Amino acid sequence: METPLAYYLFVGAVLFVSGIVCMATKRNGIAVLMGVELVLNGANVNFVAFAHYTPLGLDGQIVSLFVIVLAAAEAAVALAIALNFYNNHQTIDVDRGDKLRG
Amino acid sequence: MSNQPLFWIFALLTCGGAVGVVISQNIVRMAFSLIVSLGSTAGLFFLLEADFVGATQLLVYVGGTLVLLIFGVMLTASGPFQQIRVSPGETFLGAAVGLLLLSVIAFTVIDVEWDTLNAARTEASPGAESGNTARAIGLRLVGIPADHEIGVHEGRGGRTGYLLPFEIVSIHLLVVLVGAAYLARAKRRVADGSTGGEN
Amino acid sequence: MTHIDSKAWLLIIAWLLPLCGFVIEVFAGYWSHRCPGGRYKSRTAAYLAVGCIGGGFLLSLSALISGISDWGLLEHQTSHSQAAPLESDNPDAHATAHFTVANVPHGEDADTGETGHGGGQKYVSGEIYTLGTFGKLRIAIDYYVDSLTLIMFTMVTLIATCIHVFAIGYMDDERTEDHTDHQVHLADGSHLHRPGRFYLFFSYMSLFCFSMLGLVLAGNIFMVFVFWELVGICSYLLIGFYVERRSASTAANKAFIVNRVGDFGFIIGLMILWTSFGTFGFKSYTDGNDGAHPEPGLFEMVRDDHGKVDVEKTDHGSIVRIQDHDDKSASIPYWLLVAAGLGIFAGCVGKSAQFPLQTWLPDAMEGPTPVSALVHSATMVAAGVYLAARFFPVFLPEVLLTIAYVGAITLFVAATIAIVATDIKRVLAYSTISQLGYMMLAIGLGGWGAGLFHLITHAFFKSLMFLCSGSVIVGCHHEQEMPRMGGLRKKMPITACTMLIGVIAICGLAVPGVSLWGYKIAFSGYHSKDAIVATAMTYAHLNPAHSLLFLAPLVTAGITAFYMFRLWFYTFAGEPRDQELYDHCHESPRVMTVPLMILAFFAIFCAVGGEGGPLYTAISHSETIPEHIADSAITLPSHKQIAGYHQQAGILALLVAAVGTLLAWLMYGVGRPDPGIIRRQFAGTHEFLVEKWRFDELYDAMFIRPVHVVAAWFSSFDRRVLDGVLHWFAHTGVVLARWNRWFDESLVDGIVNWIAVRVQAIGQSLSVVQTGRLRQYVMFIALGVVTLFLLMFALFPQT
Repeated sequence: METPLAYYLFVGAVLFVSGIVCMATKRNGIAVLMGVELVLNGANVNFVAFAHYTPLGLDGQIVSLFVIVLAAAEAAVALAIALNFYNNHQTIDVDRGDKLRG
Repeated sequence: MSNQPLFWIFALLTCGGAVGVVISQNIVRMAFSLIVSLGSTAGLFFLLEADFVGATQLLVYVGGTLVLLIFGVMLTASGPFQQIRVSPGETFLGAAVGLLLLSVIAFTVIDVEWDTLNAARTEASPGAESGNTARAIGLRLVGIPADHEIGVHEGRGGRTGYLLPFEIVSIHLLVVLVGAAYLARAKRRVADGSTGGEN
Repeated sequence: MTHIDSKAWLLIIAWLLPLCGFVIEVFAGYWSHRCPGGRYKSRTAAYLAVGCIGGGFLLSLSALISGISDWGLLEHQTSHSQAAPLESDNPDAHATAHFTVANVPHGEDADTGETGHGGGQKYVSGEIYTLGTFGKLRIAIDYYVDSLTLIMFTMVTLIATCIHVFAIGYMDDERTEDHTDHQVHLADGSHLHRPGRFYLFFSYMSLFCFSMLGLVLAGNIFMVFVFWELVGICSYLLIGFYVERRSASTAANKAFIVNRVGDFGFIIGLMILWTSFGTFGFKSYTDGNDGAHPEPGLFEMVRDDHGKVDVEKTDHGSIVRIQDHDDKSASIPYWLLVAAGLGIFAGCVGKSAQFPLQTWLPDAMEGPTPVSALVHSATMVAAGVYLAARFFPVFLPEVLLTIAYVGAITLFVAATIAIVATDIKRVLAYSTISQLGYMMLAIGLGGWGAGLFHLITHAFFKSLMFLCSGSVIVGCHHEQEMPRMGGLRKKMPITACTMLIGVIAICGLAVPGVSLWGYKIAFSGYHSKDAIVATAMTYAHLNPAHSLLFLAPLVTAGITAFYMFRLWFYTFAGEPRDQELYDHCHESPRVMTVPLMILAFFAIFCAVGGEGGPLYTAISHSETIPEHIADSAITLPSHKQIAGYHQQAGILALLVAAVGTLLAWLMYGVGRPDPGIIRRQFAGTHEFLVEKWRFDELYDAMFIRPVHVVAAWFSSFDRRVLDGVLHWFAHTGVVLARWNRWFDESLVDGIVNWIAVRVQAIGQSLSVVQTGRLRQYVMFIALGVVTLFLLMFALFPQT
């Protein structure tokens, strides 16, 4: 029998929530980046799953491709930002970057 | 054919990797868990007969993005096995919110009648059965629909494809990489002799 | 480039040289003036000024020589009058010869006269630069050169050169950085200390010469007016040179303001002439019109070639036909032309200090003595006479009569005041006014040549006397009161000698009946005054109603001799009255005495030959002999008639002058009768004369006080009414502004500030959420999503 769609969606949800929690609890900037990647992957799983199970068809796959590409770009930029942050603060702790607090 | 065992393996690895990323305190281990999670996701893609996306996932994510991340880990590590502690209260709060969110999503997933959607699924997706989607995706990108769809959505009002977004993304990627290289450039203007500049 | 006659070129350059000098001195004078080290400063400015005016003299002289050869100025002119030659038994051989030759219309002269060499066209005129054309009005820098211009140029530049040289010595004490003016007392009782203004003096002098030469050169009446005013402003600057002295600045103001009165008339005359004739020019251009029909000038429009004025009687009164005009019927009312003439003459009255406006000139003595010399001999006062002479063709008989009476009154009044004046310069000032009266009288009587003859001779001997007085003043350390001098001839022989020459010249003394090489033994003043008296005598005989015009100059000739010799005896003869002054007195340096000797030479010889001599002959070439206007009450004397009275008049004048001299010698040389006793006997008259006929008081009462009263009234009106209204407005404004300020500060500002404070408070309270912590934001997002979901579930439950 075929695996139900809901299972895939549930895997996507786990990935998504893990990413959120990762972002919310990790103080290391790189870890936060990893959370972002997880969130994006959760979304990707959903896209591809819907592409397979619904009339969305190939469009879902194409969107997921875009997401992958943009995630790569985002990772590159975020890494550069993290490096600069580290250069300026001598640490990668995101809690130190609170200069814009109200 | 039943992909059920494979699905369970990949699903467990994916979820386990993700949870491992969350609970691990060591950044290197987190990176490793992430590799596991993302690689397994590629397996899920294959199971969903999205060969091209899965391959891209492996190439770009596991081969590219993660290497970048690991470089980031190495470049920003002030010492071996560096850990930045989070207060337990925060951890608890994060866990609670995460569980809440998860439960909300899970409830939604369960609540929706997916079978009606499944019933509406057409047999149309070309190459879906074979899983050989690279050519179809390419055609879709340049805006040419699959063979039997010609004439269904004819004329200018039809679907226009993804060529323009593709080009935009290409340029975007180029710009971003150049920008990233500029941003990550070692700046020597920090005069306090810290080790940051040397990295 | 239009063709300009060589004589005109020379004069133009001579005219512009002092301007160059002025510009250099006024802009660079201060630096040229500085002399590093040493107490005294450089004389560069003075040398520059002398060079400019001296160069001008040489150019003028060459122009004069060129004019003499071109126009034959020394040949006797063919008289325009058609009278038969008159054979007289005049013992003055040359005068006879002159008139005999002059009155015989022999062929050669008649022929050449028409071809423009010997007679008809003895002037050059043209345009240097057109300033602008405004409709019909054309304003240009023109030149007009005839024998009068040439002689005036030579005279002015020569005298100015002498005066400049003299001034180098006279102004020597101005060359210090710290000059002390002993006549200015400051509030703390000390004397004023100021930087010397040596270079400034010479720059003013240069500008003065430039203005005077421009006035003489001018070819149209507008340009004359411009330079007229320039002369006025220069005199203002120079009279007020010691501006810190109150008397000097007052005198400068007085000179300027009194001249304004005359200039007012001048402007009226100018406007009448322009509206009636449509041109300012004197005569049509001879140069540079390239064969085009020359535009006629004023003189040609009023009189034809024979000096005839075309008067017609109409129902509306007499009119004067405008000659040589495109419109043959053009005319001007007779009275209007008279008014124009009177207006122009009013300007001359102001400038030449004639009867109603003579009060400024004695006060002008406040300037440095070289300035007085220049103003009184060659430039400013001469300008008035020159203009009256230049405009002679435009003057109608009524105007001429006015001129004659004004001159007669002036010469008598001024001479009487001069008798009692004790300031050496003031005596000379009144004498100047008196002599100017002579010139005006002569012009008014039709003795055009005689008047200008006297102008030239007077310029020489008067500048000589002024410079002598300047020498005395310097020698006596700025003492000007004659009663403190006396016996100075022993200390200052050159000055005394030259002064005596000047005095004899002005008195018109001569040795009667004796000739030396055919020339009369007489100084220049004798010849010119003789000519005037002869003209007056003839006039009185022709018009017995106006015999006063003969008596006044005759009597005044005696008075002149009296006061001039009084001056000389007072100053140079007898015993010193103030021993201390006498002991400190000294002869002036060479730089001052040489100009005196040069001027003395000219004072003796410039008029040699009298009316047959070169000077008079040259002047008379420019003369316009007026045709008798048929129904006029006045008959102007002709040359032949004057010649008839010449000997008689000469003897009379000489007699009167001799009496005056004798009286002066008795009173001030011998001391018997004692002048003090006479002064006491005629105390009233004496005081009246000392008060200058009370002209200043009269003007004070007539003009100044009424003006003060009116001014005081206006002032009180201003203060009470206008100021009150203004103050009320101001007060209301202040009150309104105060209320407005309160409104702004409390209400408007209050609202705005309240809003701002509230906004800031809200922002402050909201900013607490912005913790700046990344992880917290993620939590917010997650919580927000959950909340949204829960809300959706709660609000839109699944059916």
